[in-house]
Amino acid sequence: MPHMWWVVAASVVVGLVAAYLIWTAGRVERLQGRAELAARALDAHLLRRAAAAAVLAERRFGVELYAASRIALDASPDEREAAENDLTRQLRSVRLDPGDPDCGAVIAASRRLALSRQVHTDLVRDARSARSRPLVRLLRMGRGREWPRYFDIDDPTLAVPADVPAN
Amino acid sequence: MRIGIVCPYSFDVPGGVQNHVMDLAEALISLGHEVSVLAPADEDSPLPAYVVSAGRAVPLPYNGSVARIAFGPVSTARVRRWLTNGDFDVLHVHEPLTLSLSLLAVLSARGPVVATFHTAMTRSRVLAAAQGVLQIVLERITARIAVSALARKVQVEHMDGGAVEIPNGVAVAKFADAEPLPGWPGECVPGTGGTLGFLGRFTEARKGFPVLRDAFVALAATRPGLRLLVAGPGDPDDLYDQFPTDLHERVTFLGLVTEPDKARMLRSVHLYVAPNTGGESFGMILTEALAAGTTVVASDLDAFRRVLDGGRAGRLFPTGDPVGLRDALAELLDDPAGRTALTACGDQVVANFDWPVVARRVLEVYAAAIEATDGRVIDQEWVGLG
Repeated sequence: MPHMWWVVAASVVVGLVAAYLIWTAGRVERLQGRAELAARALDAHLLRRAAAAAVLAERRFGVELYAASRIALDASPDEREAAENDLTRQLRSVRLDPGDPDCGAVIAASRRLALSRQVHTDLVRDARSARSRPLVRLLRMGRGREWPRYFDIDDPTLAVPADVPAN
Repeated sequence: MRIGIVCPYSFDVPGGVQNHVMDLAEALISLGHEVSVLAPADEDSPLPAYVVSAGRAVPLPYNGSVARIAFGPVSTARVRRWLTNGDFDVLHVHEPLTLSLSLLAVLSARGPVVATFHTAMTRSRVLAAAQGVLQIVLERITARIAVSALARKVQVEHMDGGAVEIPNGVAVAKFADAEPLPGWPGECVPGTGGTLGFLGRFTEARKGFPVLRDAFVALAATRPGLRLLVAGPGDPDDLYDQFPTDLHERVTFLGLVTEPDKARMLRSVHLYVAPNTGGESFGMILTEALAAGTTVVASDLDAFRRVLDGGRAGRLFPTGDPVGLRDALAELLDDPAGRTALTACGDQVVANFDWPVVARRVLEVYAAAIEATDGRVIDQEWVGLG
């Protein structure tokens, strides 16, 4: 009965294709979810840095830094990248003393922000590359979610400290 | 924090990655964290308390040398069991793109995964054949660390991703407090005496031993009492054959040395020479020599210039130039004040590489990876000194 083998072969192929599709859908979902979590963490670190800068500005350096941090805190999504870059520029233009607790908080927050941005960029890249595969687009996997967006800002790291201060 | 670290290479054989993993684990433990290290090791070999053996490793020629690794269904089962029992907050794998426990752990793990890339190799030959497999492994990694600028560059250019550059640490105290070998380094006064040191595979071309040999032979002719101390794997005959017979008594060969003996060896010389001609991505041995308080003379490679702070913390000579090396050696052996100035600057440089300092930077990467995995932003205090 040679046609039996055709049936067996066809079901094996269908089974493999189905397994691959399920696995791919899971992969897209996982990468997409990870990029979203990384975006939340990045958002929190941006807020932390701006808040630390505002606290510092109230005590030292004055109006311009304070304004930059307020604008960064209140920026709408479209303007946020530019506002954060402005804040980075403001922070670079003043002399931060690592020994001062408020300055130290800003330096530490900037360093953590830099890490968070690095991780976010990598995870967004993974998610975008998974979603832009032809098969994924054709079957419209992950369509319930927004395309992950890069957050394109300059490296926020301030002066490289010799030691990581123990807070 | 509960941290699981995977080392791909066996602890039965000394090596850069193994030392890195042990020192990092010890530094993290001293900062108050719970650490478990999974590594291949023979059943009966003595291991530190924090190391879990994943069974015997098999030797496999890899990337130009022989690596001892563990891979296969049995290893997979052990990795899985270790991950389940460990209940780690973060998994930290080393060299995840080699066929090893690290790769198995990355593929078996859920949650935050941090990966450290040590070598500056472009990619493993096995994985080069399968770009898709490479992508699946990389996708499981949350945050990447590169130990050198070169390793980071490879990440950015060839693996389509960024990496945080955190240098190798050095256990400064272990080197600074080591006792010199008996009878070494001997006297070193202007015109006579002095001891040079070399550590590494003297047969390997890129280590540049012939450059040092030529410089030593030329300088020994005019400088009585000059001695050379060599440590590293290799056959003594291969070493001595390179020198004229009358110089044999002035060359001492220690063979392969243990970590504690390496520290003692570095403390036993006036000048440590690194004549490498290329292929160094970081220059670990230089930071170790600096930690031992020994003056360093190194070829002018990018990686070495970086570690030596552009020549302030050690003398640089033109790469591959025996005459340049000889002149630098002759000048420094006659100049105790110059040596002291270099080592004083070396102390400052090496403080940045001290393990507790490096471990705190690694902890920040852990925090970033955890945040990106469960969306919870972690307080500095929680990550801090615990």
